[in-house]
Amino acid sequence: MNAFEYAAPTTKEQAVGLLADRWGDAEVLAGGTDLLSLMKDYLPTPKRVVNIKDIKELQGIKYSSATGLRLGALATIEELLSNAAVKKEYPALAQAAEGVSSPQIRNAGTIGGDLCQRPRCWYFRSGLGYFPKDDGGKDLIPTGQNEYHAILGNSGPAYFVHPSSLAPALIALDAKARIFGSAGWREVRVEEFFVTPNNDGDRETVLKSNEILGEIILPPAKGIRSATYEVRQKEALDWPLAAAAVALKMSGNTVQSARVVLGHVAPVPWRSQAAEQALGGKAIDENTASEAGSAAVNGARPLSKNGYKVQLARVAAKRALLQAAQGGA
Amino acid sequence: MATILTPQATGKLVGKRVRRREDPRLITGTATYVDDIQKPGMHHACIVRSPYAAARIKGINAQAALALPGVAAVFTGKDVAALGPVPCGASLPGLRVPHHHILAQDRVYFTGHPVAVVVATDRYIARDAADLVEVDYEELPAVAAPEKALAPGAPAVHPEWPDNTAFTYHQEGGDVNKAFAEAEVIVKQRIISQRLIPTAMETRGVVAEWQPGDKALTVYSSSQIPHLLRSLLAGMLGLPENRLRVVVPEVGGGFGSKLNVYAEEALMGFVAMKIGKPVKWIESRRENFLCTIHGRGHVDYYEIAAKKDGTILGLKLKLIQDLGAYHQLLTPAIPTLSVLMMPGLYRFKNILADIVGVFTNCVPTDAYRGAGRPEATHGIERMVDMLAAELKMDPAEIRLKNFPQPDEFPFATATGLSYDSGDYEAPLRRALELVDYPRLRQEQAEARQQGRLMGIGLSTYGEVSAFGPSPATPAGGWESATVKIDPAGKVTVLTGASPHGQGEETTFAQIAADELGVDLEDVIVLHGDTAVVQYGIGTFGSRATAVGGPAVYYAIQKLKEKIQKFGALLLESAEVTFTNGNCVCNRNGKSVTLAQVAAASYRAMKLPPGEEPGLQVTYFWEPPNFTFPFGAHIAVTEVDRETGRVSILRYVAVDDCGNIINPLLVDGQVHGGVAQGMGQALYEQAVYDNNGQLLSGELTDYAIPKAGMMPWLETGHTITPSPVNPLGVKGVGEAGTIGASPALVNSVVDALSPLGVRHIDMPMLPEKIWQLLQQGGQA
Ligand SMILES: Cc1cc2nc3c(=O)[nH]c(=O)nc-3n(C[C@H](O)[C@H](O)[C@H](O)COP(=O)(O)OP(=O)(O)OC[C@H]3O[C@@H](n4cnc5c(N)ncnc54)[C@H](O)[C@@H]3O)c2cc1C
Repeated sequence: MNAFEYAAPTTKEQAVGLLADRWGDAEVLAGGTDLLSLMKDYLPTPKRVVNIKDIKELQGIKYSSATGLRLGALATIEELLSNAAVKKEYPALAQAAEGVSSPQIRNAGTIGGDLCQRPRCWYFRSGLGYFPKDDGGKDLIPTGQNEYHAILGNSGPAYFVHPSSLAPALIALDAKARIFGSAGWREVRVEEFFVTPNNDGDRETVLKSNEILGEIILPPAKGIRSATYEVRQKEALDWPLAAAAVALKMSGNTVQSARVVLGHVAPVPWRSQAAEQALGGKAIDENTASEAGSAAVNGARPLSKNGYKVQLARVAAKRALLQAAQGGA
Repeated sequence: MATILTPQATGKLVGKRVRRREDPRLITGTATYVDDIQKPGMHHACIVRSPYAAARIKGINAQAALALPGVAAVFTGKDVAALGPVPCGASLPGLRVPHHHILAQDRVYFTGHPVAVVVATDRYIARDAADLVEVDYEELPAVAAPEKALAPGAPAVHPEWPDNTAFTYHQEGGDVNKAFAEAEVIVKQRIISQRLIPTAMETRGVVAEWQPGDKALTVYSSSQIPHLLRSLLAGMLGLPENRLRVVVPEVGGGFGSKLNVYAEEALMGFVAMKIGKPVKWIESRRENFLCTIHGRGHVDYYEIAAKKDGTILGLKLKLIQDLGAYHQLLTPAIPTLSVLMMPGLYRFKNILADIVGVFTNCVPTDAYRGAGRPEATHGIERMVDMLAAELKMDPAEIRLKNFPQPDEFPFATATGLSYDSGDYEAPLRRALELVDYPRLRQEQAEARQQGRLMGIGLSTYGEVSAFGPSPATPAGGWESATVKIDPAGKVTVLTGASPHGQGEETTFAQIAADELGVDLEDVIVLHGDTAVVQYGIGTFGSRATAVGGPAVYYAIQKLKEKIQKFGALLLESAEVTFTNGNCVCNRNGKSVTLAQVAAASYRAMKLPPGEEPGLQVTYFWEPPNFTFPFGAHIAVTEVDRETGRVSILRYVAVDDCGNIINPLLVDGQVHGGVAQGMGQALYEQAVYDNNGQLLSGELTDYAIPKAGMMPWLETGHTITPSPVNPLGVKGVGEAGTIGASPALVNSVVDALSPLGVRHIDMPMLPEKIWQLLQQGGQA
């Protein structure tokens, strides 16, 4: 890790003032569970690190049945997991938080940090950037060690998968991200928060280098049934191989509208309108869930070694749907 | 042979679930590991390592590093060319031994190969400076898989040996050709025991301190073998052994990875002498993965011959051992242990084995928990299951049919071993009872009807433990103990077996307290310092209790004779018995306490004829044979059809390690062992790419089981005392690991057998299983 200047502002205004106009010069530090290990590998080598953990305004979780849920970007994943309203009203989100382990990571890692964490692609982590190429300029990943890479949204140039497992649940639950910058607040749907980078200097979100993610707002979830299902290789210290988060608005036994979002399958969390449409007006059973699962991976293009992920994504979607249908509102 | 003391027959502590005396300091964070050691003026070292698996070093420029404030020195290969080599303690006929310098000379042979060492006033400066050392490499073709290394035209790991073959080794017993000619059924299978990374919680670390006035060096190292390390390090550094002290403080796990002598241990000694300051090197986790020995690394080709009734006639094995780029301490010996154990627990007398030891551009393999025996057990237990499947026999029945009976012991094996004692049916029957086997098979039939993939897997394992008689080991197979009683009657036990987590500070104190009739609190056990313990061999191969324990026992027997003589003097009686901590006159019942005897022995107003003052005895115990623990494990699993994931529904382990000194510790060893066996069966594998880069280079990519992933372990024991030693103990350190992997693989193969699956190689990753399901069992 290189030497750097350290700042610990106590207001969001100070924080954005301390950030830089271009990526690379300064980095935001929240829980540090990702940033510090990245810096130890010399991936970012910022001149300044801006610790935002002391900004009270961005902490905490609040719920009201009228306005919904407000998650401070600095609330930890453990706070999310142990929040009774989240468990009851937004089970997809609680289940996603539960998957993030160990407890140490949940206690230190923040919600904002989870959404802004950098790709786990082992080429990226070895310092080869988003788009590693061989000596002849050909992309390395499509024929390389791509077991854990993208099966959707991978027509290039990016093949990594977005590592956040909270993001699919937030998107399924129609959350909005509130971003603070020198011009004040701006708001985007979490679905639009993530972008596929085209250049090595880009990032994976719409955040600008001098903005911070401030809070996440979820609408009330009355009448919504939601669930997250993840497939993991091991039960700890690991990211899912594939995951699905679903939210269903039911009328009686039939689906009025659905949101189906796959995680860990594409450079961004992957919303599947095909799966959503496949469910409209139907009751959820083994068959319809299975069909929706297949629809979700329609158009998947596995790379040389990750065909298995197509199956996992299909199964994750199916099981998330069955779980949501069984669960209460 | 010695008489056997059963636990019931001995005193108040042996055989009891006494809590570990080591734990309070471990749990409260007051234990001292190498990294806790601070010395005035201490410097820190960081090692520059090769990013390539094979390359020529064209030049090294350390100027920028040396210019960084705080950097004291940079040393490269030429500075240490005359030191070393890193020793290989194993000898095999025709073995090719590459000269293993402590820093690379003009060529590197594996990713992580040490090239230079940077020494600075603090750890961070050393690390930064290491990045400033410019090494000019010319990358060379590498080969990272043993079968590829044997293929014609493969890059030569060591140019002097283009066939990449370090040795071949042949062993035969009985008449295998006749056995195969007479066979009614022959089953063949290629079986892989993949490369594993031992992953001790504490990585390696060394502190070296030079005392110029005394011309003496002290080396603190996280090691399993302080005395052997001292002897070998003295040779590497050209120091007289009596001027080198090795101290092993608390060790955070070894599992065989610290049963070794590493380049860095000599390198730090060299640095300390050169700069005249103490120096510390703590291995990073990444270095630990790249540069500490790996385990396993077998490709095995098996053939088993049998009669239709299930009687096994013979076994053939072609074993390809991935050695890595060098021989570490025991590297080439490990596959020979597999051959020794290839008959497992079965009676057949015809074997044939051929080993090819292969160099690859990878870190060396060496002893990892089980060391050769898990590979052998995995092989025979898989083959027996495949044979049972072929003959449509129940896997329990085929095993019961082939065990030698208790009255056949000592049992001479086809590989030249003499199994000390055994009742192999007992743990299997107990395990079958614990799972209610007939009902379980019934449940399985029902599950299959519902389309569920449920499997039941057995393994009946045996191991050769308690290394061992000296002629059969590379460095002496005895163990030493000193027992001293101080003038106030308190007891100190010094053991040469350097326990590092196994708990002998507790078990040896139990033995001593019972034998001397004192309280546990009155006994302390010291180890791990060559200035404190006269000499010792160390802890590995499930030997500490079975070889070190008897040394303690015999030392005490000799001490008791002396106690009685001093007691007789004090009681002015010729007939005195030492019992329950007192010397009692047989005639008048008068007695003196141990403390009184001890005080008198040091005060020495009168001495028994021919006796020296004081109460201290050192005993080196040479075992007459190995011991042979055994047991039966049963794993019940279910496979998720859609994802290929394996869940463990039940796990039963019944072990027979002879007499049990402390059941709590035995259970702990079994638990940890099963976890590691489960890791191999389901999760772990060291993955090198074709260029010799370690892809599974950190804990996020190398999956070791965590507590939450463990099934509930149901343990049981049968007790067949060993006649080899007076305690009747056999050793249990590796049992769980050896038993677990075949039980789990047999179970998953059983689960998938309706689809025609006959074999699965480890690790049984969900993807592999799903592919098998996709292909209807044919992969
Ligand atoms: C072993 C392991 C297993 C894990 N498993 C999972 C898993 O299964 N699923 C999962 O989703 N995650 C997983 N994680 C990731 C973990 O959840 C994240 O590391 C954590 O949430 C990041 O939060 P943090 O506060 O520590 O972020 P930091 O490390 O402080 O920051 C991470 C990144 O986000 C940026 N950042 C942080 N907060 C903000 C903000 N408010 N505004 C702008 N930028 C910001 C930082 O600049 C940095 O680039 C795992 C991590 C580890 C180490």
